[in-house]
Amino acid sequence: MPKRRHSGLDARYSRTAYLMLLPAIVFFVVFTYLPIGNLLTTSVHSGPQANEFAGLGNYSRAVSDPAVRHAFVITVIFAVATTVGALVLGLGLALLLDRPLRGRVAFRALLLVPYLTSVAIVGLLWRNILDPELGILNRLLDAVGLPEQQWLVTSPLATIIGVMLWQHAGYAMVLFLADLQGIPDVYHEAATIDGAGPVRRFRHVTLPLLAPTTLFVSIISVITGLQAFGQAYIITDGGPAGATDLYVFHVFNVAFEARDFGYSSALSFLLVVVILAATAVQLRYGRRGEVQY
Amino acid sequence: MGRIARVLVYVTLLAASAVTVLPLLYMVSLSLQTEAESLSASPVLVPRTPVWGNFVELFERAPFADFIVNSAVVAGAITLSHLVFDPLVGYVFAKFRFPFRDTLFVAVIATMAIPFFVKMIPLYVMMSNIGWLNTYQGLITPFLMDAFGIFLMRQFIQPIPDELIHAARVDGASEFGIYWRIVLPQVRPALAVLAVFTFVFQWNEFLWPLVATTTEDMRTIPVGLTLFSQEYFTIWNLTAAGAVLLFLPTALIFLASQKFFVRGITLTGMK
Repeated sequence: MPKRRHSGLDARYSRTAYLMLLPAIVFFVVFTYLPIGNLLTTSVHSGPQANEFAGLGNYSRAVSDPAVRHAFVITVIFAVATTVGALVLGLGLALLLDRPLRGRVAFRALLLVPYLTSVAIVGLLWRNILDPELGILNRLLDAVGLPEQQWLVTSPLATIIGVMLWQHAGYAMVLFLADLQGIPDVYHEAATIDGAGPVRRFRHVTLPLLAPTTLFVSIISVITGLQAFGQAYIITDGGPAGATDLYVFHVFNVAFEARDFGYSSALSFLLVVVILAATAVQLRYGRRGEVQY
Repeated sequence: MGRIARVLVYVTLLAASAVTVLPLLYMVSLSLQTEAESLSASPVLVPRTPVWGNFVELFERAPFADFIVNSAVVAGAITLSHLVFDPLVGYVFAKFRFPFRDTLFVAVIATMAIPFFVKMIPLYVMMSNIGWLNTYQGLITPFLMDAFGIFLMRQFIQPIPDELIHAARVDGASEFGIYWRIVLPQVRPALAVLAVFTFVFQWNEFLWPLVATTTEDMRTIPVGLTLFSQEYFTIWNLTAAGAVLLFLPTALIFLASQKFFVRGITLTGMK
């Protein structure tokens, strides 16, 4: 008897639960699952209205398209470089801040500030600073008698990687710092008593404890890097000569300049596959370095 | 730590902070320079007299007032919507038992793995078909809720004792009353983090407003400013003035709530 009453109550609460969930169910169906279905459908069509069935034509075209291959390669370089950079800078700065320092909170804030800016600010500001003739950097170099630099011409990809790091290193720093502050002192004390110097303590105590955060930062950085758009759109316009034609920027142009929705949908879907694969690989191999204390 | 090591730490931190902050300070300086100063061969780091008129001229050259209103409406509405729906959905997943709960939860959480960029083209086509391109609803609706926010709120609501909710039910409280008067007050700090984070991210959002607006008067500040600067390529002092206006609200929120920000970032790393 009590059981029946219980299930009756459950049914009533189930109705309440579904009622409260209804907006969310509608939202995620309409704005996530339906679009992904549409993306897949569009990706097997071609023509200006994307209504001529093309089978896997767009996909085979993508695989053999040199411009797509080029965009993909430089985007992978961009993502890997920004990830390694964010890990090194983020961890380095966090280690510097993880000690009793006067002004620690202020330093943390100053280092985090670029992360709060819109990519529009980052892009416009650095395009201005780095402009070959009118930029403040070259005018300064000129004023003190040093040769002017053409970073956006000679090493455009490295330059926008640097700009990306300028914006994102602080984010990694905050995550590492929070993690470092959570490590109980006894671990380091125990290692010191066992005769471990600072380098060995870092390698064998700190790093393994930071493994989950390291993994998280690298997954997020790779995903963010693979999707970078504003840097190319605002600073370089993908140039010079396609040197910074980041993948999402390339797809954006295929969709909204060339108006080829079928092809651009296939290209979008391929990037999702790459992002999911990259994440899966990192999870698979990253977990190995983890330890639990 | 030795004295030399201490000095080295400070010098490194000061140098790193200079790299992050000086470009932004230069942006502020540039926004107050005359056009001649902003382009002069002998570089100007601090304007002789601040030209506040740049901010006036900006509003005359571009519908900047529209940009500000659009940004505020869009980011404000999305933030409000997150505050309404993320905790409600999080609460249902945390405290109710119903058929297919886990399946639905996974279906919601899985959307975190879908980058927005992937939805860009189909959403554009959809908005175009229903005539929502270049409208507020077109800019707002794709971001009404967020799987991460839902996940976060669920994590915060879970520790609330079930007995509290059962006791309220026995006392005859309505389901919504329980949510509103018992659950929400317990997670107020988490709501503040959610609000601050959502607002700043939407205020800064670039890709969707770029794609989904077709006329100048519907653009948000990031998009309006970028297209303005493409049009007036060399008038950098005005572009910088626009960038200052774009950054000002974020900077103020950050100053007022650094704690919430840092907390929000560490929450994104929650495992």
